[in-house]
Amino acid sequence: MNYFFPKGLRWAGLAAGTALLLNACAPGQDTPTPVVGLNVSSYLAVGDTYTAGVSNGGLTRTSQEYSYPNLLARQFQSASAGGSFVQPLFDGAEGSNRAVFRGFTPEGFLQTQRVPGTAVRRTVLLANACTTTPDTLRLLKRSATAGTLPQNLGVPGLLLSQVDAVGLGNEASVGIRAFNPYFERLLPASDSRTYFQALSTAAQSATFFSYFLGMDEFMPYVRSGGTCGAVPSSRQMKLTAKRILDVLTANKRPGIIVKLPAITTIPLLRQGKGTDVEARLQAYYKDNAPLYIETPFVPGTSQRITERDYILATALPRLGKPTPVVVGGTTLMLPYGRDSRNPIVNADVLDDTSEIVYITAAINDYNNAVFVNSTTVLGLSGLAKAYGLPIIDPAQNSYLLDAGFLFNNVANSISVGGVVYSAEPVRGNFFSTDFYSLTPRGNGLLANAFISAINRAYRSNIPSLDVNDLPTTTE
Amino acid sequence: MRARLLFLLPLFSGLTAAATGFDTGPQGARVLGLGGASTAYIGSIAGLSTNPGLLPQWGDSLTRLSFGGFGQIRRASFVGQDTYLRTNQDLTVQPGGYLYATRAVSKRVSVGLALNTPYGYHTKWPNAWEGRSVIQESQLSTFFAQPTVGFKLNDNFSLGVGFVYAYGKYTQRRALGQYDDPAAQANLSSSGSGYGVNAGLYGRTGDNLAFGISYRSGVKLKMNNGAYTTAGVPGRDASLLAGASDFKTQINLPSTLSVGIADRVTKKLLLTFDFALSGWSTLDSLTLDVAASGPVPAQRLRTARRYEDALAFRVGTEYQVNSKLVLLAGLHYDETPVRDEFVNPEFVDANRVGASAGLSYQLSQRLAVEAAYAFDYGQLRTARADQTRFLVSNVSGTYRTLSHTASLGVSAAF
Repeated sequence: MNYFFPKGLRWAGLAAGTALLLNACAPGQDTPTPVVGLNVSSYLAVGDTYTAGVSNGGLTRTSQEYSYPNLLARQFQSASAGGSFVQPLFDGAEGSNRAVFRGFTPEGFLQTQRVPGTAVRRTVLLANACTTTPDTLRLLKRSATAGTLPQNLGVPGLLLSQVDAVGLGNEASVGIRAFNPYFERLLPASDSRTYFQALSTAAQSATFFSYFLGMDEFMPYVRSGGTCGAVPSSRQMKLTAKRILDVLTANKRPGIIVKLPAITTIPLLRQGKGTDVEARLQAYYKDNAPLYIETPFVPGTSQRITERDYILATALPRLGKPTPVVVGGTTLMLPYGRDSRNPIVNADVLDDTSEIVYITAAINDYNNAVFVNSTTVLGLSGLAKAYGLPIIDPAQNSYLLDAGFLFNNVANSISVGGVVYSAEPVRGNFFSTDFYSLTPRGNGLLANAFISAINRAYRSNIPSLDVNDLPTTTE
Repeated sequence: MRARLLFLLPLFSGLTAAATGFDTGPQGARVLGLGGASTAYIGSIAGLSTNPGLLPQWGDSLTRLSFGGFGQIRRASFVGQDTYLRTNQDLTVQPGGYLYATRAVSKRVSVGLALNTPYGYHTKWPNAWEGRSVIQESQLSTFFAQPTVGFKLNDNFSLGVGFVYAYGKYTQRRALGQYDDPAAQANLSSSGSGYGVNAGLYGRTGDNLAFGISYRSGVKLKMNNGAYTTAGVPGRDASLLAGASDFKTQINLPSTLSVGIADRVTKKLLLTFDFALSGWSTLDSLTLDVAASGPVPAQRLRTARRYEDALAFRVGTEYQVNSKLVLLAGLHYDETPVRDEFVNPEFVDANRVGASAGLSYQLSQRLAVEAAYAFDYGQLRTARADQTRFLVSNVSGTYRTLSHTASLGVSAAF
């Protein structure tokens, strides 16, 4: 406005304004007092990849510090109710192997770059039951907490079917029995304790727990496109969950049980939703060629992809690229997936009828099975009810956190403080480059979901994190 | 006499909304002191812009001039719904000014000119606050020029018509919080102009009672020269966010319908009452038509505002202490045009109650200085952002708003 008025008027305005400065305190508003309605002084986190804080396909000191249990513990502390929270941290900037963001292909697919782990102490090649390429097992430097067990008992890749495996964390098991290098680094050398035993020991001193196990159970099957092994048995998963929760809820110990998200909300599948990919490739190639997959149960035939078939995100960059196919005795170069004679192979896709429906049914059963009669094996919802923790809202077991709700919202995009989060890795800021694990901000949103569940269930007033303050990547 | 005008009350009692929004308040030191109840007030020629029908009332042999400046501080505090973090808006002074002149050209006809700054705001949040990706800073400034002509119908009635030219400038800045770089930002800047009319009627129904009715049309500020720039966008997203593109937008300023009465209770004491209805509902959204730039296609960015029409109620009093000194005081209640569902940190507004005080001191027969101060206290507002409506950029929490306005001016007659 300044140029509209002669100088004298501006001075008059400024003089009036200056007089105001003396009088212009910001209006007061009381901030709510944090209240923690339960004892969170010793928090025990039980879980797998998500709980450990994996990001970009690996675990580093930084990613551990942004694990949701650690963010949660920080909020407990800020509400001056939390004690210390001990994690099995790597030293300095050390970590395991991971794949970091490099760029996007011209078609818009994510490209990553491998970063070798600095905490790897030994590499072993192991035969893989399903493919000819061997798996590389990398043993990691032992955690400084190995003497006592940490409070974050998240073990990447932990299967519920392995919680009773003897020697799961003993180097002597390598190549002989089930072995998990991330569990191994939590234990002293040559310790043959099972995960269940370790958890039972750690639970004795805990005042509060979180349980988020089960996702990793499905991932080997999902990653193989349904070609390796079978869909995990939800009955076995439920039985194991009950044994673990019996220990965790002993003496009415309060806690939060996390239901699993739908498998199709994970970007490994969500990014490859059949019809979405088809439309994206049609837009890129400026044609209307459909996508084809191998027909389930009928070898050698193909069918058009549907919106309920999911291509693995890791296979997406290969779509449309010419590959040799033998047709009627001659070898033709046909675009992969975009010709009915060169359909997307079973290992690159989870089709609806023979795979997705079974995984979804297993997850639903594990999440939701409630008491019907005495022979019912309870799922997480049923167990949560059975433990008789406080129920605030009968429609919603408040001490039960439905991670599916958050993951599903993210899959459809959400806006938090003006920033949009979506299931697209990197750009979506929720999932990291491995199409599965979370970014620090994704962990922050998950921690906030815990906080709102705790606030509801335990009449607490714990402040949430400003997730937009967290970094977008652990690198 | 007074009872006769009570018929006006039911006319407005059914309306639930009011006149604040981003108007900067009464446009003159003396009318500011009076709380803005100036539709039927002839004590200051600042009334010219409120009610052109007042103009012939200054149709004697004198040329009148009134000018001054004012400053307005609107300041809000915010407490995040879930984070419990409190943020205070940075202190900003929205400057304004006014200049009025009137002169009779014949016994019945007078002309006048009003220049003022009736709408504007300056919102500035700390750069790192919780809602930084919604808004960091936003400013709108307007300037109105209104040449006016007035006709005296008879001794008791007069009317006036003015043509309004308006100019406005709008800038906005927000963080691109999807990136780690705290300097990643999007900036908007544009300016434009629009036109309107202002017409009013003034009448006296006796020696002591006067009334005024006026209507100023809405003004559409057409801004075609907008510049939309971003900074700190990583190369991987160059195809999503352009470094610089042009945009067009339009900001609709509301119409106002004012009705007022002035009652000379005693020789020294004057009371005035005003109702003003502002047609804020024309401000439906902020729509930016962004032109294509490089690989980024043209797009329309729309932020819903959905303002509703709004009513203000004002009472003012003027007391002649002696031949030189006039004291002024006023009270007002302004309802907000901002609906609960659209409470947004770019422009925080609330139903407000306010009080004002002022004085006019006659330095000589021809010259007076005028000063006034007004204080507004806003109701607590709660914004609830629905995360799943991801196209709506907002932050959940509560706001409390205060505003201070001070004005200093001179009026002369010669």
